[in-house]
Amino acid sequence: MKFLCVSCDEPMKLQTVDNSGGGSLSVVYACPRCDHQIAMLTNPLETEMVQSLGVKIGPGEGAGAQAPVAAAGSEAVNETGAPTSGSGCPFSGMVAQMQAEAASDGPQWTAEALSRLDNIPELVRPMAKQGIEHYARTEGLAEIDEEVLEHARGRFGM
Amino acid sequence: MKTYHDITGDGGSDVLGQVTARARAIARALAGVGRLVAVGSGKGGVGKSTVTMALARALAEAGGRVTILDADLNGPSQARLAGLEGRPWIPGDRGLVPPRRDDGIAVLSMGSLLPAATPLEFDTVSSGEQQTWRATRELAMFAEILAGTDWGELDVLLLDLPPGTERTVQFAEMLSALGRVGFVMVTLPSAVSRGVVARTLSALAPLAGPLAENGLELLGTVENMAGYYCKDCGQVKPLFPEAAPGEEIPLAAECLARIPFDPELAALCDRGWPAGPLPEALRDLEPLARRLLASTVTEKEEVPR
Repeated sequence: MKFLCVSCDEPMKLQTVDNSGGGSLSVVYACPRCDHQIAMLTNPLETEMVQSLGVKIGPGEGAGAQAPVAAAGSEAVNETGAPTSGSGCPFSGMVAQMQAEAASDGPQWTAEALSRLDNIPELVRPMAKQGIEHYARTEGLAEIDEEVLEHARGRFGM
Repeated sequence: MKTYHDITGDGGSDVLGQVTARARAIARALAGVGRLVAVGSGKGGVGKSTVTMALARALAEAGGRVTILDADLNGPSQARLAGLEGRPWIPGDRGLVPPRRDDGIAVLSMGSLLPAATPLEFDTVSSGEQQTWRATRELAMFAEILAGTDWGELDVLLLDLPPGTERTVQFAEMLSALGRVGFVMVTLPSAVSRGVVARTLSALAPLAGPLAENGLELLGTVENMAGYYCKDCGQVKPLFPEAAPGEEIPLAAECLARIPFDPELAALCDRGWPAGPLPEALRDLEPLARRLLASTVTEKEEVPR
């Protein structure tokens, strides 16, 4: 989908995306010539239709403004591994339940180990994270670093 | 006034660029895979997952490096079949590392993550309208798993497809873009099963052709529960009534193998198949396994990545 400033006959540029409106996206475009702005507002069904494609809606790198809004099911994961919004991770309910069951003083992740999670599909990160934490608790480990990940890999024959 | 085609890009999100990048990521992830073999049917309950694991066993016994991807995200059974339930998915340097059995067969299945009786729930803000996007999201998730897994060097990546003619065609259309994909269709000897599989084969026909031209090859069918394997006498006895003359439902594909029903194998499906020699009831899969491995070498050279 593209937007054209009719007065200037100029393609409009995406400025900001806000998905805080109960399933609605508010996507603001502006004409680079006359600065006229418009907002495209989607209903929840339209939002999910677009997000189900697995793409992110928002300004690309270097466009300023804000980070792209993740597609449903691939939203950002906070430092506890839980989705930051309830818009689509298929495991969010299960992860929340597991987190409630897990001890609050669970194993801590080193930055290097945590960065490895970036290498796997966003959709399964929360569950993979929980699985490794369960393994670490079973092994009596207080910290999860790259060595622990490699040990788990060897332990399970990977 | 400018038209759609006069304007380059989409003003910021670069959705087409993202789709292209994902396709490249999948191609990179699969670069070490000789060929992909999708095991489908159209009909549910015919033993697609059992045949997939059986074929993996035959491939491994023939010296092949094989991994199974359980593409039935919301009805996974490969983790249980493989005895890999509860195994964590480990993030490696180059993506997800699939759990591996003692016989070397790796299996990536949602069943490793999902407790039994727990469905994969896609949270939604458009309650009551999920039917409009669920299939798309399932395929997007499948694509993300393909791109985000460290498949390593493989001879064959087996894909255990979900049931349903429509979903089989959707997966076929998506997979055909990857190239070097073969389809094996599983059926029972019953008229009901053969009817559905015949319809699915017809639906796939426009997508299929010689591998080098189309990227998707219809390899043939495997007839599951083709009789009852009696361990005591080593004979295969009839399980389904034979179709009356003139009432057979023809399938537009070569029958690659016939697997008899074996109660011992059925019990192993619930407990997890241990590593070991290929059971006698599965020996008919050996020629198919050898054929796949032999064709893999040629296709690695011929099919551009």
